Amino acid sequence: MNNQPEVKKNTPSKMFVYFSQLLDRPVVDQDKEEVGRVYDIVVKPSEIYPQSVSLIISKGFTNRKYAVIFWPDILEVDAKELILKVAKSAINFKEKHDNREELTLRRDILDQQVIDSYSHKIIRVNDIHLLTVDHSLMVAHVDISARGLIRRLGFEQLVDFLVRLFNKNANYLTREHLIPWKYIHPLSINPSSMTIKVNVPHKQFSSIPAADLGEIFLDLNINHQIALFKSSDLNTKARIFINIDFKTQKLVIEELADKEAVEILNAIPPDEATDFLEKLPKSHTERFLGLMESKLSKKLSQLLGYANDSAGGLMTTDYIVFIKNTTVEAALKQIKERTFKVEPAQFVYIVDETNHLVGSTNFRRLILANPEDILEKAAFPKTHFVHLDSSVKEVAYLMEKYKYYTIAVVDDNNILQGIITVDDILSRLISIAWRRLKRIKIQP
Amino acid sequence: MHKRIKGLWVRLALFLTVMGPGIITANVDNDAGGITTYSVAGAHFGYSLIWSFIPIIIALVIIQEMCSRMAVVTGKGLADLIREEFGVRVTFYAMTVLICSNIFNTVSEFAGVAASAELFGISKYILVPLCAVFVWWLIVKGTYKSVEKVFLLACVFYFSYILSGFLSKPDWKEVAISSVRPSLQWNKYYLLMLIGVIGTTIAPWMQFYQQSSVVEKGIKLENYKYCRLDVVIGAFIVNIIAIFIVVVCANTLFKNGIRIESAKDAALALRPLAGQYCFYLFAFGLLNASVFSACILPLSTAYSVCEGMGWEVGVSRSFRQAPQFYALYTAIILIGSAVILLPGVKLIPIMIISQASNGILLPFVLIFMLLLVNNKRLMGEYTNSRIYNFITIFVIIGMIGLSIILFFTSFLR
Repeated sequence: MNNQPEVKKNTPSKMFVYFSQLLDRPVVDQDKEEVGRVYDIVVKPSEIYPQSVSLIISKGFTNRKYAVIFWPDILEVDAKELILKVAKSAINFKEKHDNREELTLRRDILDQQVIDSYSHKIIRVNDIHLLTVDHSLMVAHVDISARGLIRRLGFEQLVDFLVRLFNKNANYLTREHLIPWKYIHPLSINPSSMTIKVNVPHKQFSSIPAADLGEIFLDLNINHQIALFKSSDLNTKARIFINIDFKTQKLVIEELADKEAVEILNAIPPDEATDFLEKLPKSHTERFLGLMESKLSKKLSQLLGYANDSAGGLMTTDYIVFIKNTTVEAALKQIKERTFKVEPAQFVYIVDETNHLVGSTNFRRLILANPEDILEKAAFPKTHFVHLDSSVKEVAYLMEKYKYYTIAVVDDNNILQGIITVDDILSRLISIAWRRLKRIKIQP
Repeated sequence: MHKRIKGLWVRLALFLTVMGPGIITANVDNDAGGITTYSVAGAHFGYSLIWSFIPIIIALVIIQEMCSRMAVVTGKGLADLIREEFGVRVTFYAMTVLICSNIFNTVSEFAGVAASAELFGISKYILVPLCAVFVWWLIVKGTYKSVEKVFLLACVFYFSYILSGFLSKPDWKEVAISSVRPSLQWNKYYLLMLIGVIGTTIAPWMQFYQQSSVVEKGIKLENYKYCRLDVVIGAFIVNIIAIFIVVVCANTLFKNGIRIESAKDAALALRPLAGQYCFYLFAFGLLNASVFSACILPLSTAYSVCEGMGWEVGVSRSFRQAPQFYALYTAIILIGSAVILLPGVKLIPIMIISQASNGILLPFVLIFMLLLVNNKRLMGEYTNSRIYNFITIFVIIGMIGLSIILFFTSFLR
């Protein structure tokens, strides 16, 4: 009876082991004879918690040789050593072990940079926390704490002792800096396909706000940027693309095949696409426009024709518009069914049959209105708009004055051309105020 | 013809965008310690040491070129690569020595500021804190681009030494001959001076700084040739300026048999011999070099240490996002400037410790570099060729030998 609580206490620490504690641990064969030391562990990259596939052991120092042992041949991962089921003679040592496409803990994760999608940062892995399940190991957490560093240096007990001397309940001793593996995305690159070895989990990435995703992306080095971009799905690509600076955008686009590049320009809002295209040398812009489907390229080249700092240059052509005699019910139905490249601000524009701007309304008014009414009845009493050649300041002034999230842009004949959203105006104003676009650092 | 000129312009524009890291790193090399060494070399041995600058250029180009190549190919800093390939233990000890050596180096830069303060007749208690605040403010408030522009401007000010060289009216024919004709003198003082001159040229922080700043610039592989040109130009500029310093001192002090201990002595002795302008140019050069290096050394240390230990890095981050980075940077500047203002502080032991710690670290850094640059997994087809490796190993053995000798002699002196 007395023993029971102690056993309980011991179990968790036995179940978990740090990779740094496994490294260089002796590996013995079935007759308890040493065959080598732990060098690396190959894991299956596809799973949520990667499971160990094989063990790489090394022997010798000056003439180092490596052998690969598959996990079924391992009997037990002991506190002192790893015991194999096979005999020493059955193990085949070679000069090299490099299978560069596999994901291994020492080469690809330990000491490397990874993306932490929980805190939206790039971190360096100080240690890996492994869980023992039926003799095999699973990657459970990564350790990024100072204590992990100190453990690797071999001073954990000394520093623990010193800290305990001063403060028994120090944060340092109790707080574990373990990040669950599901938030961690290794960045190591598969040398043959030049993409990230572990599939980029789109669900996790879509939980990172687009602006943070852009920041993370900018912090990566060129090779990782390109590999990550290539490994992402179109939605993630588009989200990254509109949140990075022009230099990086250009770099990424140049690395892609024409088809992929056009796909991205297709997927991002037209005003972002024109923003990018107008900064490119003319010949490049024309080439991209030529590659696009004619409808989009026509729209973009029209947008490109307007001066950069005029309403025409700022506007996007992605907005919600209805003809004035549409019923509220029909409008709401269409809004529900249509997909948008970006979340449109909740403004809806109303035009006549020949596209002249008649009025505007918002989602709230639509929801509250009588479903059988025509749209004009749900419109604001008055709709303010700007012209294609209105200046940034004029636009900003009107939007602030009437508390608009978006404002309509019309040509000289009062025909609706596009809308300007508040975020585009804001970023333009910020760049005027600070003279720096996109990479402004704000205290969190 | 028209097309060719246009191509030339395009290439020049490309070079201008890539230019920076190599030239800046090389110029920081002519810091307060460097100027002192070259002044003493010129004053005591005349033109007879100038020949050594040609092998120095070669060694500098070879070592720094490997750094920028690694930066462009891998996109990672040297400390990053050491951490990723050699593990945390090696990185930790290397970074500890790097911090130690760079703190002492920074102290000697602020000593240079203090010396030039005295030359201009300003109290060092005003100029040193002023420079420390300026240096701190520049990095904390600046962006990489703006900081680089200030640094490139500082490089231009090094031309004050070239001007002062012309003002001292040397015999150019003699200078030219002695720069290509090795003239070894087999006595202890000459050899020590020679080792000193070569030893101050390649310091461990330079490799870290160069690689990080090339990474920060995000230079692409296809533009690598311009990056290499940047390194070569940097190595030439820095050595030409060093030659001019030696020439000024040789032409005035050596001819008149004046012995000096420091760059300050050199400037003071120049005043009656070469005139007021030469004196001011020399003193201004010293101030510029000291402040410039006092910027780069703490920056480079903070960068490398944070890279290696996996802390947030960057001039473009806020204090709260990168606390370790700013804490290290601030602490090094604070220590560097405070030590100089302590009454009765002796500079010679500081210089010796800084040289000694450089000497301990350099062999390791060079060996790490050689292993990294030849790692096929990292560098692909951009590893060293066999001939290049042969030359590199020769240079590295030479540098290691020299730094070991320097390490011991710095205690003998």
